[in-house]
Amino acid sequence: MNYELNGDQAGILAGLDQLLAAHAEVASGEAENYFHGARLDAALAEAGFLDIDRIDGFGSLDAALVVERLARLPQVVEAGASALIAPLLPSEPGIRPLALVSGEANRPARFLPVAKQLLVLRDGDALLVSLDGSTIEPVESLMAYPYGKLSSLDGLTVQSLDNAADIRRRWRIALAAEAAGCMAAALEIVIEHVRTRQAFGRPLGAFQAIQHRLAMAEETAQSAKWLAFRAAWSDGEADAAIAAGFVQERIARFTYDLHQFSGAMGLTLEFPLHLWTYRLRALAGELGGASTQARAAAQAVWGAA
Amino acid sequence: MSESIDIFRQRARTWLEANVPSEKTPLEGAPLRDYVLAWQQAQARGGWAGLAWPRQHGGCGLSVLELIVWFEEYARAKAPPVLDASFVGLNHAGPTLIACGTEEQKAFHLPQLLEGRAIWCQGFSEPGSGSDLASLRTRGVVDGDHLVVNGQKIWTSFADIADWQELLVRTDPDAKTSGALSWVICPMDTPGITVRPIQTMAGAHKYCEVFYDDVRIPLSNVVGGLHNGWATAMATLGFERGTASLGIIIANALKVDEMLGDCPTSRPQMRARLAQLCVDAAAVRAMAYRLALDSEEGVPDARGSMVRLAFAELAQRISAAAIDLYGVASPQVAGHHGWGHEYLDAFSETIAGGTAEIQRNIIGERVLGLPRGPR
Repeated sequence: MNYELNGDQAGILAGLDQLLAAHAEVASGEAENYFHGARLDAALAEAGFLDIDRIDGFGSLDAALVVERLARLPQVVEAGASALIAPLLPSEPGIRPLALVSGEANRPARFLPVAKQLLVLRDGDALLVSLDGSTIEPVESLMAYPYGKLSSLDGLTVQSLDNAADIRRRWRIALAAEAAGCMAAALEIVIEHVRTRQAFGRPLGAFQAIQHRLAMAEETAQSAKWLAFRAAWSDGEADAAIAAGFVQERIARFTYDLHQFSGAMGLTLEFPLHLWTYRLRALAGELGGASTQARAAAQAVWGAA
Repeated sequence: MSESIDIFRQRARTWLEANVPSEKTPLEGAPLRDYVLAWQQAQARGGWAGLAWPRQHGGCGLSVLELIVWFEEYARAKAPPVLDASFVGLNHAGPTLIACGTEEQKAFHLPQLLEGRAIWCQGFSEPGSGSDLASLRTRGVVDGDHLVVNGQKIWTSFADIADWQELLVRTDPDAKTSGALSWVICPMDTPGITVRPIQTMAGAHKYCEVFYDDVRIPLSNVVGGLHNGWATAMATLGFERGTASLGIIIANALKVDEMLGDCPTSRPQMRARLAQLCVDAAAVRAMAYRLALDSEEGVPDARGSMVRLAFAELAQRISAAAIDLYGVASPQVAGHHGWGHEYLDAFSETIAGGTAEIQRNIIGERVLGLPRGPR
């Protein structure tokens, strides 16, 4: 694996950054749990950034680069499923946002209130549900995404898919890339805070107890990123499970440390850290959480015990 | 002891079963204030107000063992959370007045606290002065028989519904910390006070900023002597790091038991994680009981920091496990009484009342006797 971006990848990210520059600002003074970037979502779709895996010469790594970059934004957009999972589906491109749920179809799912399709991942198969005519109940959640659940499958167009394993693998890659982006953004805010905030006559960042734990947070964020990109590049079972499992296992420690060093200010909606820590918390529980990914990684690397 | 501990337990259990309110605590504002005061009034009518306060000050004068039993029954009955709008008054301000207040201050304020007629808040932290309490800048200037206060406090829980504030101000700008501060009873309706609630990521307006613009407070409201506020404040913080946490620790331990009961056998890893939390909760509880029993007389010592640190970090692990157990968007996690709120609120556990780093410093220096590190 080559860790340097090639020319095409650098070009994609430069183009993406150009588009994002027009959407970077979240209205200041607004104190919300999260901001759903509907306008940004439409712009991304129109510019084709979420279909990059379908373009000749590009692939899942390029899609993961986009997902990671978008996760650093203060507003949430559905990118992971569209960029990395939708290309595996029989439906036409552009029918999005795509919501994901594992297990029962009526479990709460991120982005379902704004989604056009729902993908239900089950043990041996998957169901692709067109949400035209569906009833979605909003689910109250503090976890920084629009959540909802499907009332019933009755009367909806449902397609059965037999590529559940491929979908699960891409879902792992998508959540790893999204979590890596959230970590990068959250850490950047906290590093700036401890550089400037003073206690006992020194910047907080000058205290070793704080430096040591932020050093570990940087190690976590970097590892999460490179594992996610490695998994996207190889598109392999073991790499995907390792990337998702690693980041899910680290999220609790990582977010606690970041909030700890932001002090009470970090607990307010005025300080933007929560925008990413809420999301990380939600991602930590997906697909069964870290222990499920660890077992999957063991299975992929060593086979059945 | 006038009755056996078993009889005491039964008496507490019977009363709690008959009197614990069925409605959950309102989120904020006037409904929260009314609820908290009504619950305190009910406890006062039942003879359960000021459990740890001495009898001569109107309290129950319970022994530490009786307190432990009370909190065990309190948690079992799912009574309103201990760490609520009444906490500062009953666990900080009241005990501080008992220890350091004048007879007039005690006669006026203690009955109000016990009988559920007043809510207190704490005005210690300032912007730029959280862990480093000695650096606080809110000024109090003596003008005749008043202190004139100017400045700002932050992270004052329930300031928007409080009647009184235990306010720490700098009254001698030239002195070292130990002789520079004063601990003052601040009436929250004094002209010049502005309260601004802060919206936190956990949802409720629990914390506030308080601004003081030429706020005139009678000198007779100073507690423990002018410029002697550091010693008075240290007594208060000692309570926060000591026995006051028993109710929370026991309630947390019972929550873990409930979670284990809810965890299906098909999730062995989750069961193991919850079992470990049970072990951790038992350890914190044992340490807290030991410390409480040791500090039967006087102010708790620095070992209170071990209890504070351990239960704060445990509370975070418990709420994180609850979300993994029930699912991010499950009914048990959703809403303002759900685990999601608890999880986000628990981030403040290792910040409020002395950060986890400060607690570790205290343990290192005052329990282990290690050399003081650079500050």
